[in-house]
Amino acid sequence: MIGLETLKLKLERIPVVSGSQAARISLLSLVLSFIIFSIFLSIEGANPVDAYTNIFSFAFDPNLGLPTTLHRGLFLLLSTLAFIVPYSARLWNVGMEGQFYLGTIGAFAVAYSLPTLHPALLIPLMLLSGALFGAGYGALAGYLRGKLNVNEVVGCLMLNNIAFWLVYLLTVGGPWAGIAESTSRPLPPNAHAPIIFYTPFTSYLAVGIAAVLHVFLSKSVLGYKIRVLGNSPTAAQHVGINAPRTYILVMTIGGAIAGLSGYHMWAGDPAFLMIPRPEAYKAIGDLTYWGLIIGLVCLLNSLATVPLSIFIGSIMTGSTVLVRRLRLPFGLDVLFLGLVSITFAAFQFFYMYRIRRMK
Amino acid sequence: MGHKDMDGKVEGGETILEVRGLTKIYPGGVVALDNVDLEFKSGEIHAILGENGAGKTTLMNILFGVLQPDRGEIYMYGRRVRFRSPLEAINMGIGMVHQLRKLIPAHTVLENIILGHPKAGRILDFKKMRREVEELCGKYGFRIDLDARVWQLSAGEQQLVEIIRALYRGAKILILDEPTSVLTPLETEAFLNSLKTMSKQDIALVPFVTHKLPEVFAISDRVTILRRGKVVKRLETKDATMKALAEYMVGKEVLFALSKPKVNIGGEILKVENLSAMNDKGLPAIRDVSFTIREGEIFGIAGVSGNGQQELAEVLAGLRRAESGRIIFMGKDITNAPVLERLKMGVGYIPSERLGVGVIGVFSLVENILMSLYFDKEFVNRGLLNYKKIREYAEKVVSEFEVVAPSINTKAAHLSGGNLQRLILSRVIPRTSKLLIANLPTTGLDIAATEYVRKRLLDCKEKGMGVLLISDDLDEVLQLSDRIAPIYEGRFVSIIPAEEAKKEVVGAMMTGAYSGR
Amino acid sequence: MWPFIARSLEVTTILLIAAIGELLNQRSGVINVGIEGLMLLGAAAAFITASIWGLIPAFIIGMMIGGLFGLVHAILSTSLKVNQVVSGMGIWLFAMGFVTYWADRYSGPLPRGVVSPRIYELSPMFFIALIIVVVIWLILFKTHLGLKIKSVGENPFAAEVSGVKVIRTRYLCTIIGGMLAGLAGAFLSTTYLGAWSHLPTKGLGWIAFALVMFSLWRPMILLGGALTFGFIWQFAISPETIYAGIPAPLPILRMLPFIATIAVLITISREKFRRKWALSKPEALGEPYIKE
Repeated sequence: MIGLETLKLKLERIPVVSGSQAARISLLSLVLSFIIFSIFLSIEGANPVDAYTNIFSFAFDPNLGLPTTLHRGLFLLLSTLAFIVPYSARLWNVGMEGQFYLGTIGAFAVAYSLPTLHPALLIPLMLLSGALFGAGYGALAGYLRGKLNVNEVVGCLMLNNIAFWLVYLLTVGGPWAGIAESTSRPLPPNAHAPIIFYTPFTSYLAVGIAAVLHVFLSKSVLGYKIRVLGNSPTAAQHVGINAPRTYILVMTIGGAIAGLSGYHMWAGDPAFLMIPRPEAYKAIGDLTYWGLIIGLVCLLNSLATVPLSIFIGSIMTGSTVLVRRLRLPFGLDVLFLGLVSITFAAFQFFYMYRIRRMK
Repeated sequence: MGHKDMDGKVEGGETILEVRGLTKIYPGGVVALDNVDLEFKSGEIHAILGENGAGKTTLMNILFGVLQPDRGEIYMYGRRVRFRSPLEAINMGIGMVHQLRKLIPAHTVLENIILGHPKAGRILDFKKMRREVEELCGKYGFRIDLDARVWQLSAGEQQLVEIIRALYRGAKILILDEPTSVLTPLETEAFLNSLKTMSKQDIALVPFVTHKLPEVFAISDRVTILRRGKVVKRLETKDATMKALAEYMVGKEVLFALSKPKVNIGGEILKVENLSAMNDKGLPAIRDVSFTIREGEIFGIAGVSGNGQQELAEVLAGLRRAESGRIIFMGKDITNAPVLERLKMGVGYIPSERLGVGVIGVFSLVENILMSLYFDKEFVNRGLLNYKKIREYAEKVVSEFEVVAPSINTKAAHLSGGNLQRLILSRVIPRTSKLLIANLPTTGLDIAATEYVRKRLLDCKEKGMGVLLISDDLDEVLQLSDRIAPIYEGRFVSIIPAEEAKKEVVGAMMTGAYSGR
Repeated sequence: MWPFIARSLEVTTILLIAAIGELLNQRSGVINVGIEGLMLLGAAAAFITASIWGLIPAFIIGMMIGGLFGLVHAILSTSLKVNQVVSGMGIWLFAMGFVTYWADRYSGPLPRGVVSPRIYELSPMFFIALIIVVVIWLILFKTHLGLKIKSVGENPFAAEVSGVKVIRTRYLCTIIGGMLAGLAGAFLSTTYLGAWSHLPTKGLGWIAFALVMFSLWRPMILLGGALTFGFIWQFAISPETIYAGIPAPLPILRMLPFIATIAVLITISREKFRRKWALSKPEALGEPYIKE
């Protein structure tokens, strides 16, 4: 149906795309998303330049949006890293939402049980617990895929929904319910994340994890095995790499990282410090899906995901300004992310083909 | 116009298809076909012979409407035609029987035959079409179960389905791509008979063959040899000899004999006892196989692909479970030992599939070679890869095995077929100390690459390794091996020392003549 | 009791329409993981249209939006050879963002009077869904078109040499699959829920996707699956209509459909079923068709 012949063009297959070329394509897709986003802004009656100035000046102002920008951005970073590790083995970890919820449960369980423990002990324990709960949930999805051959995308999605209701069970009229009966009790003060330079310490932890993962995937033996498996499970089998075990491992690591985001999200933002109403915590849970897009756009490069995550965080924060000051509708930030998703998917084409003129 | 007849005694009726001055040049200047003139007459079997790269595939694709020629004309029944798509070719009466079956395994024979037929209409009238197909089969003497699922059929039966499909679409000329490459001699005989029947019905038959020279003699009336896109010779088959054909194909004297080095055979490396295993469909693939391989020995398994060789290689490499029996390697029972353990013990496996299995296209040469190094402590430092050492090693083996590439950082997907195999050899062989399993190592390679691979296998033998050679090229097995086991339906018919092996005997064994059923 | 059954048949309708569409495109070899997204888009478009112009235009617009994005998926995955899962995910995530931005401002119930006609409390869409399933069954198993579709899903190269237009067939099936997903979404927002809220599909699209997998790609088994899961879903929402005094709290019940899905997925992955499943699966499912 796409009659390329009629346009005197033809497709030429590229055997393999170079790193710099791939990066250029990714950047191009981002730029295109911006252009389309600008069109939407204009439709809503706003001047794009005006809007962007508002967004970024708010988002990066230390007294205004910077803390939120960094906080949300690094939350996204954790989701992205949680996606990247399994995807290096070509597993689609779309279970970050569920792993985030489980991480929340793990961290909060510790906080409620040991509220008077010294922060230097309590907080690491909460982090550990959150990571373990997330890891367990990831391992579950990994087991479903690795040993039982259940499609991991559907499996993760099911687990996400189950996890949502688990949090609901605990908070809405449940054992953790607060006075409002639909949110949880507040976190004990010892559990609050210390803020360093406008952002909770977990933000720095996240960046540290990104650096570690970068080394891990590119230079370690295990990272290499994961990449072989991701590129060709058959080749991997031929050289002695155990697929089921590796699948479970990557999902566990991914789950652990997403689990950490549970503590970071709620204990790291002074505006929360508890689990909010279901609509609110679901809205945050939905944010984890953007980790997928950020990870793919960055071509699985852990280091590149840091700036992009923060950038997306700034758009999220800044768009609240657009709602307030410029009276634009809600949801522009997720619209932008949606646009990036679809343009990136479309640009995949350029990783495989060149368009040449026919003679 | 056409070709000169050798002595006026040419069989065949009217000229169905003729090509004149056919030329095809690929972007980059590669001349695939250069001014080719050919004529195909009804009732005649006219074989086209040529190596990989001689232009056979291009010619076939043009005749079947997949490619367009740059110059030249095609005539059907004397009228100038152009096939812009396979559909147009089919509608004009050209039928093609592909080497890689283009059938739907999950569907029945009847469904495959009627798929896409213009007269099938919207709602399928199975009864009517069944009757028509049955009539057709009767006319040519074909026997086939129309309700069988194609995946249940043998290679020969599947080929028959493709033939019937083409004939049911009204093909007057059948192009056959490597028709006997996966057939047993029994099936080849049946196939030859059906060819003869079709010729009698005035169908023109054009088999395209690469290197199964014996088949050319068995099936054709006349043969045309292509080399580098040009027609170099036209012969009547009865006037040709194997040696002459090979020379025309390759362009120089071909030595059919390789000098095998004299090596002392040492102790036992591998002992296989009563091994049995299943294939992917759950049917027995290897039945009660027993043999040994010793140091310095090449043990060759001769047989037509599909008789259990692939499964045997996989069981030995650790990729497939053994249902019963034992595998003893260097005195240790490794029957169900994991792959990694075998690799560490000195087993090396060269898989039959190159891109995607033997090498990963998007990985560089280094990263590919690393696949056989990653578990060796020498290249690993506290869980991290020692890239300096790895690169040094890679440079060494790449030059030793003459892998042609700009650098060790070149991605493997950019390599040609012969180079890919060299890369695989460079990865596997230096890391193999005891037993090398070579599965179809020269399939699809050109003559130079093939010779190189065979030389390397002999090298391994000289170094005192045991080599298990699996090949569908009987000449290759006979030349290289010290002992030969013809395999048929998963069983070793016999194990014969090379000096005693006679080609016709081995050939007969691997095709069921001695199976005693 | 009857109102409960009527409501669960409504869920069945949603699942059935979305799943049969996906079954069709999977039979042609195209996997569309974006069904949830297409349903969202159809739901949003239909809801907004219904508020202004009424139900019938709403269903039509919902179908068209679904078809439009089905076309996008077809272009990306069939013509541009983009990985089908990436393409589907891209569309789903786009839908999540776009629908939130576009429709959340209309949160709330439909205007009064915009209500589906009902036959004994059952919406006619249920019967339409059944008709669609039967029609697709007939097409797949009794017509030449169906044979062509199935052949494209099994071995597009073989189909091509038999004269089947592979690209055209895949486009057709993907667009129809999209239209049906959009229709399912339209029905969800306008009839089943009658109101808009944030991302109203709540995972139903994913259950429909899973249903296609366990149906062994056969419409009749799919019907059975849709009936079962429609019941489970509605039961999870209002169990007291069947059995008063269920001891389990609401959230646990709401988890049931998802747990059930995992359970079925595990069952069909067991050795016993695996062979049957592998044999039923369209062999070329998910693979891009690249002409040699």
